[in-house]
Amino acid sequence: MSDAGQRMNPPQRALRLHRQLSGVWSDLPGWRGVLSSVNHGTIGLRFMATACVFFAIGGVLSMLIRAQLSTPRGAFLDTALYNQIFTMHGSIMMFLFAIPMLEGLALWLLPKILGARDMAFPRLSALGYWCYLFGGTIILLSLLAGVAPDGGWFMYTPLSDKTHTPGVNADVWLLGITFVEISAVAAAVEITVTILRCRAADMPLTRMPLMGWYMLGTSVMMLVGFPPLILGSILLELERAFDWPFFAVARGGDPLLWQHLFWLFGHPEVYIIFLPAAGALSTIIPILSRTTILGYGAVVAAVLGLVFLSFGLWVHHMFTVGIPHMALAFFSAASALVAVPTAVQVFVWIGTIWKGRPQLKLPMLYVLGFFLTFVMGGLTGVMLAIVPFNWQAHDTAFVTAHLHYVLIGGFVFPMLAALTYWMPLICGRERVPRLGEAAFWLILIGFHGTFFIMHLTGLLGMPRRIDVYPDNPEWVLPNLISSIFSMVMAMGFALFAFDIILQRFLGTHSRRNPWQAPTLDWAMALPAPVYNFASLPVAAHEGRDVAVTLARGEGLLPGAPRGWRETLVVEAGSGRPEHIAVLPDNSMLPVATALTIGSFFILMLAGLYWLTPLSILGIILVLWRWGFVMGADRDHAVVAVAPSLELPLHWQVRGTLAYGGAVATLVADTSLYACLLFGVGFLTVVAPGWPAPESTVPGLWSAALAIIALAALGFGAFAARQAEAGRATRMAQTHALSGIVSAVVALAAFAGIASGMDDPTRHARDALRGVLLGFAVVHVVIALLLALRCHADARGGRMSAHRRGAAPVWRLWQDFAFVTTAISALLVTAQELL
Amino acid sequence: MRWAAWMLAGPLLWAGLFSVVYALHGVGCAWGWPALTTPIGQAQVVILAAVWVGGLALHAILIWQMPRGPSREDRLVSYGAWIGLVASLLTLAPILLTSTCF
Repeated sequence: MSDAGQRMNPPQRALRLHRQLSGVWSDLPGWRGVLSSVNHGTIGLRFMATACVFFAIGGVLSMLIRAQLSTPRGAFLDTALYNQIFTMHGSIMMFLFAIPMLEGLALWLLPKILGARDMAFPRLSALGYWCYLFGGTIILLSLLAGVAPDGGWFMYTPLSDKTHTPGVNADVWLLGITFVEISAVAAAVEITVTILRCRAADMPLTRMPLMGWYMLGTSVMMLVGFPPLILGSILLELERAFDWPFFAVARGGDPLLWQHLFWLFGHPEVYIIFLPAAGALSTIIPILSRTTILGYGAVVAAVLGLVFLSFGLWVHHMFTVGIPHMALAFFSAASALVAVPTAVQVFVWIGTIWKGRPQLKLPMLYVLGFFLTFVMGGLTGVMLAIVPFNWQAHDTAFVTAHLHYVLIGGFVFPMLAALTYWMPLICGRERVPRLGEAAFWLILIGFHGTFFIMHLTGLLGMPRRIDVYPDNPEWVLPNLISSIFSMVMAMGFALFAFDIILQRFLGTHSRRNPWQAPTLDWAMALPAPVYNFASLPVAAHEGRDVAVTLARGEGLLPGAPRGWRETLVVEAGSGRPEHIAVLPDNSMLPVATALTIGSFFILMLAGLYWLTPLSILGIILVLWRWGFVMGADRDHAVVAVAPSLELPLHWQVRGTLAYGGAVATLVADTSLYACLLFGVGFLTVVAPGWPAPESTVPGLWSAALAIIALAALGFGAFAARQAEAGRATRMAQTHALSGIVSAVVALAAFAGIASGMDDPTRHARDALRGVLLGFAVVHVVIALLLALRCHADARGGRMSAHRRGAAPVWRLWQDFAFVTTAISALLVTAQELL
Repeated sequence: MRWAAWMLAGPLLWAGLFSVVYALHGVGCAWGWPALTTPIGQAQVVILAAVWVGGLALHAILIWQMPRGPSREDRLVSYGAWIGLVASLLTLAPILLTSTCF
């Protein structure tokens, strides 16, 4: 143990510390609190509660589907409404339930289990929640208005293009889901940074709770996996709104590009959902088996394997589209191989139960339900990974059954285990006996009765997404059985919800740490206080009963003596304490930002494109305000964290959480740009409508403008470096000003290039060039804003020898803008020359 | 954090190799490489196999050079390196086993 662990603070009165911290960390009372809360506990619970509401709505839609299919000539729904309902069921369950649920669990749990007071970016948590709520509401309202998406949850082109879906149905999906995805990327950024930097002192990565590894894997996958979907949605919306032909075969597009982009997101998505659930299992199983996890290293290796391999499987969703055998075989092999790390985890969990003394408590029942269900889903997954079988079963009810086994087995059962396990920490109460067990059996029997038989229905040839089957009497009985058992499952979920509500309001008060867990999440009073820990734990506290020790302030950084929300920031690998982050207080900015972003999406949806610049301006103004409250206008003294341990505040260090967040954001940005390059390469090589028509652009003029833009961006990168280096002098202002000028010059050059471009509606190549240019413009505008921020900081005395303001982030962003613009310029040049 | 870079090196190499081979496969099919022959076989297979074997050699070098020891960090480095090698070996083995562009 290091100094931080050895030199603890003297004990204080726990009640005094509790009052002091509660005053600083609590939400505001009433509606102001609802709108302005940024606390991870509140936001995490809101995410989970809202996700459960969407789960209930999606569940009701599934009951409508089952009612329709219970007879061969179901007249319950007409075909158009049926299309909307199955599309909404899938979209709600994937985008509005599963992902937000895991985000909510991560936001609520991670600071507790890692030993921190909050997530790295509390306002980003709140922004993510509001984007999720508003986006989800837009999608839901479309169902009530009768214009819900109706092209299936993966929205394939050409079905979803303007010709075949002329209404706003597809636009609702594309814009609403993209709005919600902002929330997912925001969550991914802050989960990544929180796990790497906001852990208990001296907790190295290799000793952190396995939940941390699972969530780290999840968040990195989200950073890389969500941008393809966002890019695909942008391209399809551009095609629908402005006729840019990315997917139109006659003009150089290809519908397969959509499938590639969608499944580049879609398959990793399965593991994005599974990994947090597996993290919950790896946390719960050892505790309820009264032992330690078997093979920590093997589990981390399995997570590593899953994170990477899951990006090599996406084409197995496209096995029937006519891809050459060799490519099929690459993805078939990868699809089979991914079963290995999954199996490693299953064996680790079984071994852990075998090694320990398992208790058949309610969470353990759900764990056993997971084993039964997920293993069966995994086995049918291996069957579907084999190309010849896949060709037979493709687009049948067999696939529907498989994906429900994987998703309900691999996510819902573990989440139910997690909810029942952590409910005492959430509400401080014990559950009402026996009701939960009844719910479990109803869900388990109902689930398998519904979906096991569906495999057979699929093998009998029933396709997915049909609403009537009058000519196939052999499908009648299995469908009726599925429908009956689905009602049993629905009753189980309703009983589960009732049980949770009873526990919240009528359960008896729970004793502290009811599971006798050694993890830090239980080293606190029940229900969890808003600040988590009155003093922060060190790694050595894990595995010991330190709740009282920490409550009395004997850990690090006791109380809130400065009236700020403070938490410890550590070095990513070793966990060595580095500095103290002062986190933002309650704020209306997140909800205001989400509303301005929402206004953009609504204007797009309404077709009022000419008004969208107003929304963009609003977004810029609100974001400017975010930046304004981030800095400090004077140097602060170091803070005594413990005897002989003094640390600086975050304003006076370079490697801040914000810098880490910027790096994580650029990882997502790089993924988006890489997918754009993939799109260019794919259409150039594979799409039938190529080569593109001759360009009418004056080449020399465009080349000159591109060189001017690149020179300006390069100069901006130099200015950003100089501004940071000269931050203690008046020259910082001058350098920031030159950065502003260089960005304006680059934008002017881009405007010149845009004015002379080929019509982007003519051919996919021209449309892609428009997107490449748009990508550069957006990044230069952001670089310009950061340069302006840096200039304002320098002028307002918010930079000094110790305070760098926005300069490091500006520099990072400016470099990225320069490099990506240079690559785009080279690509276009190569297209012209080759 | 050097150990983390070592741990990620193997899977990253697999990701890069998989992407390059898949891209070359697409380019080769579009540009008619299967119609070209070399003294040791069909041009496309030869090119893909050369890239694959080169990648496997890099994996082998990685395993040869990786830090070894009893610590958990060293074990994770070893796991990462082997995951990369096995993934590259198995997922790209179809280069030698299947037809190319149909």
